[in-house]
Amino acid sequence: MPDYKAPLRDIKFVMSELLNSDSHYANLEGAEDATPDMIDAIIQEGAKFAEQVLSPLNQSGDREGCTWSESGVKTPAGFKEAYSKFVEGGWPSLAADPSHGGQGLPSSLGIVMSEMNGTANWSWGMYPGLSHGAINTLEEHGTEEQKQTYLTKMISGEWTGTMCLTEAHCGSDLGTLRTKAEPNMDGSYSITGTKIFISAGEHDLTDNIVHIVLARLPGAPEGTKGISLFVVPKCLPAQDGSAGERNALSCGSIEHKMGIHANATCLMNFDGAKGWLIGAENKGLNAMFTFMNVARIGTAIQGLGAAELGLQGSVAYAKDRLAMRALSGAKNPDSYADPIIVHPDVRRMLLTQKAIAEGARALIYMTAQKADIVQSGKTEEERKAADELLGFLTPIAKAFLTEIGYESASLGMQVFGGHGYVSEWGMEQNVRDARIGMIYEGTTGIQALDLLGRKVLMTQGESLKGFTKLVHTFCKENTDNEQMKPFVEPLAAINKEWGELTMKLGVSAMKNREEIGAASVDYLMYSGYAVFAYLWAQMAKVAQDKLAQGSTEELFYNAKLQTARFYFTRMLPRTKAHAVTMLAGADTLLDMPEEAFII
Amino acid sequence: MADYQAPLREMRFVLNEVFDAPALWASLPKVAENVDPDTADAILEEAGKITSGVLAPLNREGDEQGCKWTAEGVTSPEGFKEAYQTIVDGGWNALGGNPEQGGMGMPKTLVSQFEEMLQGANMAFGLAPMLTAGACLALDAHGSNELKETYLPKMYSGVWSGAMDLTEPHAGTDLGIIRTKAEPNDDGSFAVTGTKIFITWGEHDMAENIVHLVLAKLPGAPKGPKGISMFLVPKFLVKDDGSLGDRNPVTCGSIEKKMGIKGSATCVMNYDAARGWLVGEENKGLNAMFTMMNYERLGVGVQGLGAAEASLQSAREYAKDRIQSRAPSGAQQPEKAADPILVHPDVRRMLLTMKGYVEGGRAFSTYVAQWLDIAKYADDSEQERRIHAEGMVSLLTPVAKAFLTDRGLDVCIIGQQVLGGHGFIREWGQEQLVRDCRITQIYEGTNGIQALDLMGRKVVGSQGKLYELFAQDVAAFIEENSDEQSLRPYLELLAAALERLSDVTEHVINQASETPDAVGAASVDYLDLFGLTALAYMWARMVKAAAAKAEGDTSGFYTGKLKTARFYYDRLLPKTVSLAEGIRSGSDSMMALTAEEF
Repeated sequence: MPDYKAPLRDIKFVMSELLNSDSHYANLEGAEDATPDMIDAIIQEGAKFAEQVLSPLNQSGDREGCTWSESGVKTPAGFKEAYSKFVEGGWPSLAADPSHGGQGLPSSLGIVMSEMNGTANWSWGMYPGLSHGAINTLEEHGTEEQKQTYLTKMISGEWTGTMCLTEAHCGSDLGTLRTKAEPNMDGSYSITGTKIFISAGEHDLTDNIVHIVLARLPGAPEGTKGISLFVVPKCLPAQDGSAGERNALSCGSIEHKMGIHANATCLMNFDGAKGWLIGAENKGLNAMFTFMNVARIGTAIQGLGAAELGLQGSVAYAKDRLAMRALSGAKNPDSYADPIIVHPDVRRMLLTQKAIAEGARALIYMTAQKADIVQSGKTEEERKAADELLGFLTPIAKAFLTEIGYESASLGMQVFGGHGYVSEWGMEQNVRDARIGMIYEGTTGIQALDLLGRKVLMTQGESLKGFTKLVHTFCKENTDNEQMKPFVEPLAAINKEWGELTMKLGVSAMKNREEIGAASVDYLMYSGYAVFAYLWAQMAKVAQDKLAQGSTEELFYNAKLQTARFYFTRMLPRTKAHAVTMLAGADTLLDMPEEAFII
Repeated sequence: MADYQAPLREMRFVLNEVFDAPALWASLPKVAENVDPDTADAILEEAGKITSGVLAPLNREGDEQGCKWTAEGVTSPEGFKEAYQTIVDGGWNALGGNPEQGGMGMPKTLVSQFEEMLQGANMAFGLAPMLTAGACLALDAHGSNELKETYLPKMYSGVWSGAMDLTEPHAGTDLGIIRTKAEPNDDGSFAVTGTKIFITWGEHDMAENIVHLVLAKLPGAPKGPKGISMFLVPKFLVKDDGSLGDRNPVTCGSIEKKMGIKGSATCVMNYDAARGWLVGEENKGLNAMFTMMNYERLGVGVQGLGAAEASLQSAREYAKDRIQSRAPSGAQQPEKAADPILVHPDVRRMLLTMKGYVEGGRAFSTYVAQWLDIAKYADDSEQERRIHAEGMVSLLTPVAKAFLTDRGLDVCIIGQQVLGGHGFIREWGQEQLVRDCRITQIYEGTNGIQALDLMGRKVVGSQGKLYELFAQDVAAFIEENSDEQSLRPYLELLAAALERLSDVTEHVINQASETPDAVGAASVDYLDLFGLTALAYMWARMVKAAAAKAEGDTSGFYTGKLKTARFYYDRLLPKTVSLAEGIRSGSDSMMALTAEEF
């Protein structure tokens, strides 16, 4: 396993040079503490934790996995100690609400921490990661009493949280779920049913786990409009607030799976467990949607992490491994062969990984800034605009980044050749761990339907325009910049084509609703490459400006420029195929007789 | 997980209806004496039973258990030994072997169907017969008569298995730098010393003896690839009467923990002056390896295809059974809580992508096998036919290996996606297919190496002559079928795709004369472009075969072929546009960065 090194230079580049984090934080309500020095110090400390505490547990955690017994789930060696250090360091409360013990720093800073922790050890990062969703739900929709009881403990990290949605027969389609909630005399509810695929549903890191459970009340309407949300703790809170009597819920088994072995994927049985309603009856799904964006950015980070870890591993190997000579003549004549980094095809792989990892970082941080503004922007207008952009960018970030993050992880393995396939080097673990990103938190297909159906077409294209306007402005600002031409011209072209394609899809979807699902994944991938083109053009601009100002970091900025060039010439052309296929129509898909699939 | 069923209907379609393999076999006297359509069909039927009935049921458990190493040797997963015996009893190892030494002499067009079933049912197991067949090929082509008589009959029967020992810790892709030594003994044998890694089924308990073909260097041999010789090193020395004698000092030091194909042993092999015999000429070991490479590489491509077929079977069954949400155009099964996910356009997109690549891939592998058969079996009187076929084999082999495994993995990943969360769970088998299939892009020459072979050695190396063979074949098909009604919607698109490929080919040949990096910068995208175009050709041929039978077809088989062809042309072939553009941008953006800048 490559030792993870937090890419601090690139983090700084994206935060402050590309996204002007100084002025961004200065403009947020209540983010006074987020001064540049403070942020630097926090990130440095976070990097140490990820590198020194979490990274060394990544491979051993995969080998050992979690162990289930009647009495609970045991996490791999070292996980518990690492978690205690995490809590002692005050990391869980970093970006949480000060009224319940949080430190109130902007959530985008928490995203940087999640990136570093998640890249160092995704399985471990999921334990605190899952708490975020639960915390957000309670913050947004919980009663004051619920907040008092649970939030403080969860924000401090003393307790963790989960989201219990999926059941054996329903994943994407939550409308059909069967878990029941029956009212008790004391205002609480009795929850009965079985949930599957519950990440971090049971473990030994904390003495209590707070489950947020989707269930149906007696007589609730069928479908998605009859779902309510409940808080169901593993241990009922005692008078003094500590974890008290055990609630009637238990982990029935854990899954054997392809990757993320060190994170327990639990089957949870609720046998008349005591729970309390969160928010209004039958509005559970709406309540979930309020924080869905945040949770999905959390999953998008997995794509970034997989890309970064794969890149770190393969670059080191490509510089070290000797095989064959460069076609243009020996580069390392003193040894029996050249390092494989001299070969164009190895470079193609490394540059693809680099373009993905660094582009992903830019996209996630940009999206995280929008989330900051939604939370703490100074004006209603600002918040609303940011919310629209956030809604538009979220499905792209989640699906596109987990898809191409997986590509980077897989390329990382390919650079290692046969050594990539054996466990020792850790590259295959990275691939196995990354694979789930495209599935959970809404599959790529579901994200694509969300983007094209709910976000773009339902707003008559307005949400797309919110973004393409930014691109347009950038292009206009740089039309006279000769050096930027190789970036601005194709960017302007893609921006225009993006709108045109959307129009065409809008027209065909009015005639036939099936057209949305027929085009959606191609549309999403196209959009991802278009967003990346915008980000890479901007990064090229920053690099050019720095070089023109005589920066001493020539190596760093040159690499940015070259990677941008690679992205524009070798990766952006992928949009061509997506542009054609998204317009191919639903007929090709739906005409196929069902029997013909089955033969 | 759906139980694997050998896709016999599909194979018969490709063999009999698309390519008219019986006519091909009849045209090759050396094949015709061993096989006729009835025999071939009986073989397919039996192969289907064994692979589906015996091998497939061991697949998941083999993955769970893995192989076990001790100082005494390697134990294969439960049931593997018995299954291996079934393969031996059925004579399956001998299928493609030389009849003079006990082989059955079946053509590759047929053998590759068996190989697909073998690999689709259980890839970890399938590697054992596959490697034995590869070792037999090399031995048959280059071994002395004595070596052949001593080893080949036992290996064809499968009583002894074979292994190919090439890689060393520091040398995989670059075999020129291997260090294993072979020093002559007084009796004409050699003492082989060194360490080999990644030796698949290098040690196990399924066969009585294991015959290693080992690459090593003779004293004073030239540096680099021209100083490599091949040696036969058996686990047990063979006595004059053919029985097994002393244990040769070749031992398995450990086995790898790896991502997939866990039911197979990937061995570190230590040679401590083990006795070996030279196969072929001194210092010509790499050439000897290359004779079997074409077969092996198609075989690895077929592994990708086999895994992809297994994934497709499982995904479509799931898509039919799993009910989730309603069709956008209204409920299709109102009596149920939801519609099966097969109604959703995006699920269909995934399944059709799988079908497009799997069925197109099967046609392509059979197409390549057909050229292998002509190259191997054409009569001496038909030299021109043979040379033409050899050119095709040489050109198409890297495409078959890399394109079929790249798409094979894509298909398995899509198959996993169709199952959603269940695709990530071991129980359902889809994730195992992804893990198993992933190795096929790496071994037997990584796909990057295949692409360099295609672009550099074959296309640029022949200044486009080899490419022209393929282009002419496609062009001739277009020409011959210009009046074919059923092909109307396709021929124009196929011609455009061919033109795109030809243009790019010419472009890279020109570039390569100016900059040596042009080949490596274009190669992987070029291979993809080539493969997609070749599959378009295959789909056109399948349309031709299916069109007449589609009318009044109630089974859905032939109409399914036509619809999948249309899907392929509408939705998969357009990738060629992107690839062509990327290739044209050249190598500058790849070579500009210094190593530190990474």
